[in-house]
Amino acid sequence: MERKVVYPHLVLPYLLLAPQLIIIAIFFYLPAGQAVWMSTLLQDPLGLSVRFVGLENFEIVLSDPAYRETIARTFLFSILVVVVALVPALFLAIMADRVVRGASIYKTILIIPYAIAPAVAGALFLFLFAPSIGVISWPLRFVGVDWNPRIDGLDAMILVVLSSAWKQIAYNFLFFLAGLQSIPKSLIEAAKIDGANAKRQFWTIVLPLLAPTTFFLIVVNVTYAFFETFGVIHSMTQGGPGKSTEIMIYKVWYDGFIAQDIGRSAAQSVILMVIVVALTVVQFRYIDRKVHY
Amino acid sequence: MSKDSRRLRPLRAEGTPQTGEDTMIRRTLLKGVATAATLAALTFTASAQTRTTIDMWIGVTGPAQEQILGLAREFNESQQTVTANVSFRGQYPEQRAAAFAAFRAGNPPHIMQMFDAGTGDMFGLPRATIPVSEVFRRAGMAFDPAQFIGPARSYYSAADGTLNSMPFNVSTAVMFYNKNIFRAAGLNPEQPPRTWPELIAAATQIRERNAAECGFTTTWLAWIMLEQFSALHDLPLATEANGRGGLSTELTFADAQRAQMVQTLIDASRNNVFRYGGRSNDAAALFEAGTCGILLQSSGGHASIANAMRTRNNEFGVAALPHFPSIIAEPKNGIVGGASLWVFNRANMSEAEIRGVAQFLAHLARPESLVRFATATGFLPATQAAFQQMQASGFFAQNAGRDVPILQLTRGTPTSNSGGYRFGRWTEIRDMYHEEVERALQGQQTAIVALQNAQRRGNEALRQFQRSVGN
Repeated sequence: MERKVVYPHLVLPYLLLAPQLIIIAIFFYLPAGQAVWMSTLLQDPLGLSVRFVGLENFEIVLSDPAYRETIARTFLFSILVVVVALVPALFLAIMADRVVRGASIYKTILIIPYAIAPAVAGALFLFLFAPSIGVISWPLRFVGVDWNPRIDGLDAMILVVLSSAWKQIAYNFLFFLAGLQSIPKSLIEAAKIDGANAKRQFWTIVLPLLAPTTFFLIVVNVTYAFFETFGVIHSMTQGGPGKSTEIMIYKVWYDGFIAQDIGRSAAQSVILMVIVVALTVVQFRYIDRKVHY
Repeated sequence: MSKDSRRLRPLRAEGTPQTGEDTMIRRTLLKGVATAATLAALTFTASAQTRTTIDMWIGVTGPAQEQILGLAREFNESQQTVTANVSFRGQYPEQRAAAFAAFRAGNPPHIMQMFDAGTGDMFGLPRATIPVSEVFRRAGMAFDPAQFIGPARSYYSAADGTLNSMPFNVSTAVMFYNKNIFRAAGLNPEQPPRTWPELIAAATQIRERNAAECGFTTTWLAWIMLEQFSALHDLPLATEANGRGGLSTELTFADAQRAQMVQTLIDASRNNVFRYGGRSNDAAALFEAGTCGILLQSSGGHASIANAMRTRNNEFGVAALPHFPSIIAEPKNGIVGGASLWVFNRANMSEAEIRGVAQFLAHLARPESLVRFATATGFLPATQAAFQQMQASGFFAQNAGRDVPILQLTRGTPTSNSGGYRFGRWTEIRDMYHEEVERALQGQQTAIVALQNAQRRGNEALRQFQRSVGN
């Protein structure tokens, strides 16, 4: 049962919405529309010769097996980033929730990484994991791991996933902690009285009640993995070695700025936009139903 | 606090409706400020009334940037008519993206510094620029392209001898080696390897005697292992005289010789005889830190290496790039790298602007400018006159190894394979080579397959470029 509120005015609501709508129009619809238009053009790097080619750019991009690999890689990368960013964050939040003394100090320390720009996070991890001089790669060599992200695609992938997720852990931690604190203590106490152990309390009470938070964080983290990880990849691996860390957003930038092929780059950004919009719709339509608020 | 911020706000947000009293005060204040500003501006422009401003965008940092800014300052003080306004707009690729965007918006800089690999793009877009030779002709100033050293001139000239862009920071790739590591490995530090078999033997010995963590490494993989390698061994990169004959050029570098080079790197990767240090400049750090005994790198990196070696108390030597005697007995000249200066064809450029551009370019090409630039950076003197001046002053005698790159560039008679190349989208094609060779170094494909893939993808890019410029 929903109650509908009906406003007597027709103009006022739109007037109140206007500032937000104008901002969205200028900063989202206009550039997005331009990208769609440019994706149908073939032009030289300086825009001296511009021709309408219809869907040719999409054909070229989608028929390229390397690009299809990039799409698959982007999904793998995003799933890994989301998992690596959510699981430790939940663990840390549960731990922090139990701390009584000096809780705010721990919380502050755990939140700090969120204030760091992705590119800076990339640079930090690059130093930590640099072959032969890195603080982490040095001991790795002693235990017999031949760590070299410059030439080993798997090492490079691990590196960009870790550094992309690391920054996001702080953000997720914050939301999980808030979610945990809003779980009524009486429920936990009731479970304890019924003799449920910690594991059972977590799976049957805490996790279901955290579902709305988790769902929200999945949406936010997927978007982060698709778009904002550009800085990490640009500063660490430039998509290499080979193409092993090239994700869609990086290739959009590369084809537009380095290769100076505006049409192909625009076509890719349209494809990227469609994928992310579709993902978000799917998440809201199907996962949302399973979440109890 | 809130009172203060209200007082301050009107100055920033001009035109926002205010209460009557506030507005009055604001207007009077603004008027006063405006009058003072106009007066100051008037007195200032009175002395500089006739000055034409010339914008130049550059993409270099460190000593090279300081030198160019210094030359511009000196130029501005030396005369009354032109002000050269040099600004750094990010590293080469970012600066190029910025300049191209400015061109699309109808307001490009007068001059831009374009790196070697972008040369083919500019040649493919003749309407966008004015050849340097023509700039001087229109300015009524004498200009002889022959003043520039041969390999640089041929790299930036059209078939009819017109110099399209002015060579400025010229470099080539050479071999640096650490003499201390050579001694520790029982190698003769005064006898650097001249050929690839010798280099591999030396690097292997460095590893066997554990004199360093790795034998050799290289920067700029495609530039050194494909472009310089092909010029040295007199092998064509593509049809149509390496692309200088026209946009229909097709890459032909996937052959046994180029594969032998890649295979040599793959084989040497075992036991760290060779260590891959990334696509661009990063491998230089491996040499500077004493991790690798030998480095193949741009001569432009000389100053930085010399600094690092001094701090480490190590001696280093410079030698020509190695070659395969099985492919060529006497290696040809190397090709130039670095960047050149292009003049954008701005809409409605006045005669004064053309003259200003020509005067500033002439100032940069003076022997004394180039000598100072080359001395401070490790780049090569771009003109014969500057080279001779450095020779006469005894610079090369005092600075061992600094003449190696210029001798390597100018040795022998250049062939159509060693006189440079010209391809659209070469920046991207270089990365295709990087990607494919990296996959070969990971053991995912053989050397020849890597080259075939790079060649096929490169040719697709060339065709796409040809179509995009409307040919």
